[in-house]
Amino acid sequence: MDKHNLQRHISGQFNAELENIRNQVLAMGGLVEQQLGDAIDAIHRLDSDLARQVIETDQKVNSYEVAIDEESMRIIARRQPTAGDLRLIFAISKTVADLERIGDSAKKLAKVALEKVDHKQSPLLISLESLGRQCISMLHDVLDAFARMNAESAFEVHGQDHDIDVKYESMLRELMTYMMEDPRSIPAVMEVMWAARALERVGDRVQNIAEYVIYFVKGKDIRHLDEQQVAKIMTPEQD
Amino acid sequence: MINFDSINKAKPDLDLANLSQEDRAFTINNLDLYYGDKQALHNVCMAIPKGQVTAFIGPSGCGKSTLLRCLNRMNDLVDICRVEGEILLDQQDIYHKSVDVATLRRHVGMVFQRPNPFPKSIYENVVYGLRLQGVKDRRALDEAVETSLKGAALWEEVKDRLHDNAFGLSGGQQQRLVIARAIAIEPAVLLLDEPTSALDPISTLVIEELITELKNKFTVVIVTHNMQQAARVSDNTAFMYMGELIEYSDTNTLFTTPAKKQTEDYITGRYG
Repeated sequence: MDKHNLQRHISGQFNAELENIRNQVLAMGGLVEQQLGDAIDAIHRLDSDLARQVIETDQKVNSYEVAIDEESMRIIARRQPTAGDLRLIFAISKTVADLERIGDSAKKLAKVALEKVDHKQSPLLISLESLGRQCISMLHDVLDAFARMNAESAFEVHGQDHDIDVKYESMLRELMTYMMEDPRSIPAVMEVMWAARALERVGDRVQNIAEYVIYFVKGKDIRHLDEQQVAKIMTPEQD
Repeated sequence: MINFDSINKAKPDLDLANLSQEDRAFTINNLDLYYGDKQALHNVCMAIPKGQVTAFIGPSGCGKSTLLRCLNRMNDLVDICRVEGEILLDQQDIYHKSVDVATLRRHVGMVFQRPNPFPKSIYENVVYGLRLQGVKDRRALDEAVETSLKGAALWEEVKDRLHDNAFGLSGGQQQRLVIARAIAIEPAVLLLDEPTSALDPISTLVIEELITELKNKFTVVIVTHNMQQAARVSDNTAFMYMGELIEYSDTNTLFTTPAKKQTEDYITGRYG
């Protein structure tokens, strides 16, 4: 993997610290990915045990965030990282914040599965599941890009958020139709709507993580830029 | 756009590659330097902006001190040293035959790694340069002592014992005394050659704080082994390696997103 020379510091201890914190982020990412998958499954199968498990496990996600932040602070205090190392620590610290929020979204989805959903609403849940699967795949891809520190694949994931937004919009229209047809369904449909909203936010957060990966690798901040500017940054410079 | 640069930079929008003449203290053009047969500097080109702190960093033997010493012709003292190319100070070539080296050094002061006060009183150390220039007026000398010591953040500590021997001061105080001596003659530029490498961390911080103050009045060029120090005090940083100027940019950029891999490897502490 050592394209970015993470292991080539003169200080072996520093190498170990960076490797360790990276592994922790990946472990946290893996856990969040699983949480999200379980939450979607819980909704799909109306499995309240699984939903409860997701809610409980969220605590573990939170403690990962705290531990990784502490470790980032330690590294900054002791090593005064610069350049790529500094960008890595910064990207990690931002990434764990977004991962933690994705964990919260999973918890929110699990709560929907737990309480408010019955079999009558299952048609509503099909598009929710498909949206959820797409989010999981995006999250998986961005974690993969993070692990390999690959700006190109991060950029690919970055673009996928658009699909999520489109799907979310069309889902909203669908849900509104339900509500208009049968006002009694409104409370239940609202629950699904919150869940969809949570998933749409997951897409945004995955997109953020993709931006941090690109920032680490390229040293270029692409947040809040329009597509053309981003594309320009991502095309390799011709020297 | 919110721009935080202005907090720690005198002129945030200075473009190092296209500095206007009046913003330049030094212009170095195609500088080669040889110690005998050995070439120590290879085709160095850079512009050092006025009123800012510029740091030279790089591994031992990369030529950063050599380059610094070129700026007030300290290398003239080395017999086997030969310089080609030009260095302009206010658009005048300092290596031109007509330039008087003593005058040049009055405009370009220098402070070395080890504090080197003269075996005289604190007062006499500060006024040494002025006496050489023939200043005799007692009041002018007193005034210069006070301003220079204040400028070097030493006044409060020594004002009651100005006539004590300078060797009685601590290392950090001696270094500040040497800086006071250098600024007493009001040079345009101050060259600092690893000014804190022989000092304890607190004295180092005091000197660093002082450097930030100094740039309001002088152009400061500093050579340092301590990269974090360069990151803390300088506005611009030049990274040198094997006698070549590898990368030269504003300090914020160099320490967060360096353009060259060699720079990145050096400042992050990796094998070259």
